[in-house]
Amino acid sequence: MGIWLPMPKVRSRLLVATLLLLLVVNPLNAQRSAIDTYAITNARIVTVSGPVIERGTVVIRNGLIVAAGANASPPPDARVIDGTGLTVYPGLIDSYTNLALPEAAPGPSPGGGGGGGFFLLQQQQARPPSGPNSTQPAGLQPEVMVEDVIRPGGNEIESWRSAGVTTALTLPRSGIWMGQSALINLSGDTPQQMIVRSPVAMHVGFTPLRTGAYPGSLMGVFSTLRQMMLDAQRYRDAMQSYERNPRGTRRPDTDRSLAALIPVVDGRMPVVMVANSEREITRALDLASEFKLKLIIAGGQEAEKVAERLAKQDVPVLLSLNLPRRTTAALPEADPEPLRVLRERVEAQQTAGKLAKAGVRFAFESGSMTNASDLLSNANKTIESGLQPLDALRAFTIWPAEILGVKDQLGSIEVGKIANLTVTRGDLFERNSRITHVFIDGRPIDVRPAAPGGPPQGRNSLAGMWTVVINLGQGDRTISLTLQQEGERVTGSISGPLGAGEISNGSASNTGEVRFTVSVNVEGQTKEATFTGNLANNQIRGNVTIVGAAPGTFTATRPN
Amino acid sequence: MKRLIVFLIILGTFALTAHAQTETLIRNATVLTVTQGTLQNTDVLMRNGKIAAIGKNLKASANARVIDATGKYVMPGIIDCHSHSMLDTINEGTLSVTSMVRTRDVLNTTDVDLYRELAGGVTTLNLLHGSANPIGGLNTVVKIKYGRPASEFLFPGAMPGIKFALGENVKQSSRPNLPGVPRRYPSTRMGVEETIRDAFVRARDYKRTWDEYREAVKKDKNLVPPRRDLQLEPLVEILEGKRYVHAHCYIASEILMLINIADEFGFKIKTFQHVLEGYKVAKEIAAHGAGASIFADSWGYKIEAYDAIPYNAAILTRAGVVVSMNSDSDERARRLNIEAAKAMHWGDLTEEQALKLVTLNPAIQLGIQERVGSLEVGKDADLAIWNGHPFSVYSRVDTTFIDGDIYFDREKDLAQRAALAKERATLEQAEPNKPPARGQSPQTPRRRPSGHEDDAEVEKP
Amino acid sequence: MNSIQRHFSRNGATAQRENITLRRGAVAGEKYVKILLTLILCAGSVLAQQIGNPTMQQGVLPPRGTFAIRNARIVTVSGPDIENGTVVIRDGKIEAVGTNVSVPAGAQMIDGHGLSVYPGMIDAGTNMGLVEVPQGANGTVDLSEVGEFNPNAKAISAVNPHSAHIGVTRVEGITNTLTAPTGGLISGQAALINLLGTSPKEMAVVPQAALVINYPRIGFGGGGFGGGFQQPANLAETLTANERQVEQIRKMLRDAEAYGRAQDAYAKDKSLPRPDRNVVLEPLVPYVRGEQPVIFRADREAEIRGAIRFADEMKLKAIILGGNDASKVASLLKEKNVPVILTGIFSLPSREDDAYDSLYENAAKLQQAGVRFCISTGDAGPEVRNLAQYAGMAAAFGLSKADAVKSVTLYPAQILNVADRLGSIEVGKMANLVVTDGDLLEVRTRIKYLLIDGRPVVLTSRHTELNDAFKNRK
Repeated sequence: MGIWLPMPKVRSRLLVATLLLLLVVNPLNAQRSAIDTYAITNARIVTVSGPVIERGTVVIRNGLIVAAGANASPPPDARVIDGTGLTVYPGLIDSYTNLALPEAAPGPSPGGGGGGGFFLLQQQQARPPSGPNSTQPAGLQPEVMVEDVIRPGGNEIESWRSAGVTTALTLPRSGIWMGQSALINLSGDTPQQMIVRSPVAMHVGFTPLRTGAYPGSLMGVFSTLRQMMLDAQRYRDAMQSYERNPRGTRRPDTDRSLAALIPVVDGRMPVVMVANSEREITRALDLASEFKLKLIIAGGQEAEKVAERLAKQDVPVLLSLNLPRRTTAALPEADPEPLRVLRERVEAQQTAGKLAKAGVRFAFESGSMTNASDLLSNANKTIESGLQPLDALRAFTIWPAEILGVKDQLGSIEVGKIANLTVTRGDLFERNSRITHVFIDGRPIDVRPAAPGGPPQGRNSLAGMWTVVINLGQGDRTISLTLQQEGERVTGSISGPLGAGEISNGSASNTGEVRFTVSVNVEGQTKEATFTGNLANNQIRGNVTIVGAAPGTFTATRPN
Repeated sequence: MKRLIVFLIILGTFALTAHAQTETLIRNATVLTVTQGTLQNTDVLMRNGKIAAIGKNLKASANARVIDATGKYVMPGIIDCHSHSMLDTINEGTLSVTSMVRTRDVLNTTDVDLYRELAGGVTTLNLLHGSANPIGGLNTVVKIKYGRPASEFLFPGAMPGIKFALGENVKQSSRPNLPGVPRRYPSTRMGVEETIRDAFVRARDYKRTWDEYREAVKKDKNLVPPRRDLQLEPLVEILEGKRYVHAHCYIASEILMLINIADEFGFKIKTFQHVLEGYKVAKEIAAHGAGASIFADSWGYKIEAYDAIPYNAAILTRAGVVVSMNSDSDERARRLNIEAAKAMHWGDLTEEQALKLVTLNPAIQLGIQERVGSLEVGKDADLAIWNGHPFSVYSRVDTTFIDGDIYFDREKDLAQRAALAKERATLEQAEPNKPPARGQSPQTPRRRPSGHEDDAEVEKP
Repeated sequence: MNSIQRHFSRNGATAQRENITLRRGAVAGEKYVKILLTLILCAGSVLAQQIGNPTMQQGVLPPRGTFAIRNARIVTVSGPDIENGTVVIRDGKIEAVGTNVSVPAGAQMIDGHGLSVYPGMIDAGTNMGLVEVPQGANGTVDLSEVGEFNPNAKAISAVNPHSAHIGVTRVEGITNTLTAPTGGLISGQAALINLLGTSPKEMAVVPQAALVINYPRIGFGGGGFGGGFQQPANLAETLTANERQVEQIRKMLRDAEAYGRAQDAYAKDKSLPRPDRNVVLEPLVPYVRGEQPVIFRADREAEIRGAIRFADEMKLKAIILGGNDASKVASLLKEKNVPVILTGIFSLPSREDDAYDSLYENAAKLQQAGVRFCISTGDAGPEVRNLAQYAGMAAAFGLSKADAVKSVTLYPAQILNVADRLGSIEVGKMANLVVTDGDLLEVRTRIKYLLIDGRPVVLTSRHTELNDAFKNRK
């Protein structure tokens, strides 16, 4: 006989084993490909939980870290990645985001009836998600859980994980009781696959609803929070009392909102409150003391001014790396910025270092940053301002894992933990380092190169005040030009010796070609001028044709 | 380098004197005690935050700070009974009864106008909710300890209070009728009365419910208590005499209306605020026992202020009402000394009566007269040194003390200006403060509001 | 009493048309009872009355008298004080000032022992008489006309001589105000008035005293729903909008100049085509020719500079109204000889880091820099009576006391080109005089006598009357 056949007894056992193996290995969905074992060899491994391994191997299988050490060797079924010259870190955790949320519903366009200020804010604020059959208006529904609305994929998630972030805490964008957050891995085909832990915490924001209903002011926000927490305590007691002895007692109305607050007032679920200035943080601490809440501060820009109290009350801080910087152009007519603001911006970079020294627990978060790559570069600034680099790394890894209740699953490279890894060429916080690989749940993701630094393309590249030098054959004339851009549409106005007025027919292509017409006063007469130019290197150069006159050229520059 | 040393010395001296000093001797001043007349060539000794002694040729310990106040005047710190300084928000205007909201939740200690008020000799403020509703929010009485955390501002032992408001602001009479937008009740003075009556009826029922519960729970520990209602609890406190009512009002009819309601429910109004027609019903206000906290001479800015007269303070004082002058304005708060003097000009009050208008009387109205309001041994060392009589337009404040610590000093202010300018120059070069190549346009600066902040419809910038 | 009975037999609504005039020399008691009865019955129908009536209106202009104020301290302002001097007033003018002057026969003697005589104060930055109650009585508000260009809006036409504000203001020693319209780009023409008169004509000292231009400003807000909404929040946009507005003003002024030339040319040579008259351009002609002053409202440094440059370019005789940042522009103001009417003494410094006394000491700084200025309340009406306090505050922060008095008397007169008639106690000037029992600028000082245009002014007002009515209520 040429074919080897096992003996019948063995055959049946083999059959059973094969069947079992098939069951185990049989994919539950299309996502699982046959290869899910990886080994990164010969790499520097920063475990965070222990000393740095200068040269070692990390093995991941089935979504978990199964080996990490100088002596670990890649198993035969592993896809091997040569880690020479690379450093492996635990995947970075961003502790406060709105990732995976559906697009914000746009409000009615501003500039309609309301004008500026108060009404504009109302229109621009995204409407908070609303739970069904709630006793409370949207924005005051603690029962809202972000896990019900998250969606996988999308550009934001792509850019975040390409920046090395594997895990994020996500929550609804707005509201007073904003809802309950979830800790998600930034990969997966379904929302369920993304969730690492849900709910993580209850979230509180302090912006009044601006719908005209109560609460319409910050005072009202505090009173509303207070009243609802008192009501939740009573609801808990009433429900317990009723359940113990339902006969003879009228049943209390069920209330999902109050029910959702019971773990909060019982101190079992942490509450994250947005607070940046010293007084905001103090108010949050006072409210938490009043109700014995398990408080976490999000934002924390001035947290170091309250460090002693934060340490004493054991309140961790989700520290925003969206470091404040000046966004307004220099304009001589503007008032000088207050000293207080100038000081705040400089001091914000020192907060992390000072918190670390004061023994306050903290984790980094991106805080509505738009450019994911700013996360690491701003972390760098905090290191330059006094934070130990190792603490900076901890603030991206093990500290958020501890604060958010997943210390057994994430935050370090240890056997048994979820295989979330960020691999770099060069030290993570070095300016020139590059992220080469990112693993989430044991699978590599496509690392897209970061967009070149600078302001976002397209939308606003023409906006600003330009000085335009025009040559119509009789020497130069200088005028001012103010432009606004909305996609392809350009609006604005000119002023100066050629007269003042709005431009019309303004357009811009995405190759930088600019066109508009405007009325100008030339030689005592009003004529129509057409400007066509090209934007390059912060200059627009081109031609200007005036009806009934010889054409000329122009150059427009912006202040640097 | 020399400048740096000078700057550091100044800064060091300031730091040392600002807080470490527990003893200060003011020598040879004219002391306006308020309760014990005007003392010439007299010393004031402050120790551990209190006035330790007032007299001639006092002795202080060796490391005391000594100030030669020859030719100067010492006056108790001015108490402003109607202020909206240091509040991030003034009004919760969405409902007609907002007694559940608290100014205490929105204190902002970085408000620069606090410093400007210290420069006008003011040391204590009654921070009130605005006048958007018949029953507004809870007040906070503070000492202006500019630079300290909010908790240190709170005036120890001050009676809790609440703001009521009557009249045009509450009726929203200056708001146009928008199609499709219902008006908030009340829109007449009749409705204002009913709003208040209804609130107290509910409060009374609420109190009964809780009183009954407290009796019943003695027998059955498992009883679930009634729902705590943060809106009604302060109103119960009013009924029990534990919370002062400060009621913004203008015209005679509404003043009498509120007195009637108070009598009906058995409580007292502590102060009428503004009460510009108080002079028309002075005897009723006096009989009720309410105080009046008024403007010196502001009038005519709206209909209900058209009959206001600057003799109001004098008429009310003579009728036996405790009267204080207030500002309702960060701007006016800086010159309350002259506002008080106006009662001598219009109405012939004596200097002592006029002094009381911004010292002892507002202290009484806030329940803090045991601690402040006059210069007496044992009271808090809250006072200001003036370079002339405070009732002279030519005078200004040299130094302001609270609890014996300096919170404003003109010489130090002048000395610091150069240092601050240098600091600005340095900070503007720091990386996060540099303007970007292509930045947004800055905001258009806003002009400062003036006059009567109670009447401001928009939130403070 | 007959007039009273007749009054009360009609219903309250028509009663408002009747003024209860008091006969001069009426017995004091009768006068008191009349007032009391009127007030008791009118108290309920105060709002039914036409807004602006004091409870007692003055329907008769007191005649000019001959007076001698003797043995008083005379603060001439233009020269040294005269202790123990005499001022003689006749036919509305100051006839004599000095220690040894002859008193005409039949002159009414006023014993000035222990008293001081000052020139009446002048507030050059008000809207006095144009508004009675700004909030809630729109019918009484005549401050700003619709549209951007209203050079032909003349304040003198809308001033209410019987406004309660006038009465309560003059009894504090302010005898003159410049009343200006507001709004738009060219608001209108301001009027310099005496605070005494039963008609605008009787009050007018210079009926068309200055053109008022709201130089395009940045900075909005200040409370109130209406104000902030139209302004763009973006500074760059605001600046562009402002530049466009300046261009519009420029164009109108140039048009006015051309109009003036055309009219003059036609007047000389009727053979030229007759140019149409234009009610808007015509009033502008004297201003664009530099014959009359043009007031520019401007507070911030950039605005003040812009206004000065503009006035320079258009050859206008400029005055700055506001001037909060004036001390930063001092050298330019001095170079171009542009005076400033300071209205912001009692404003809060607008920038967080401004020194606490930056506006208090503005006047002193301008004085040191040699810039011409005067001090004003900048108020629409009710607050003008506190003008002395504004000057006093400037003196507390560096201005000399003598200069503080000048800043509310001679300096505004000079700035408004009426120094030949007002602003100091000199022979030949209008007899606008205040007699006090002390320092004019001190709050505790009392006014004892008041003369405007040589006419005696009774020191009562709506406020004294209401005081009298209620002070003895038991």
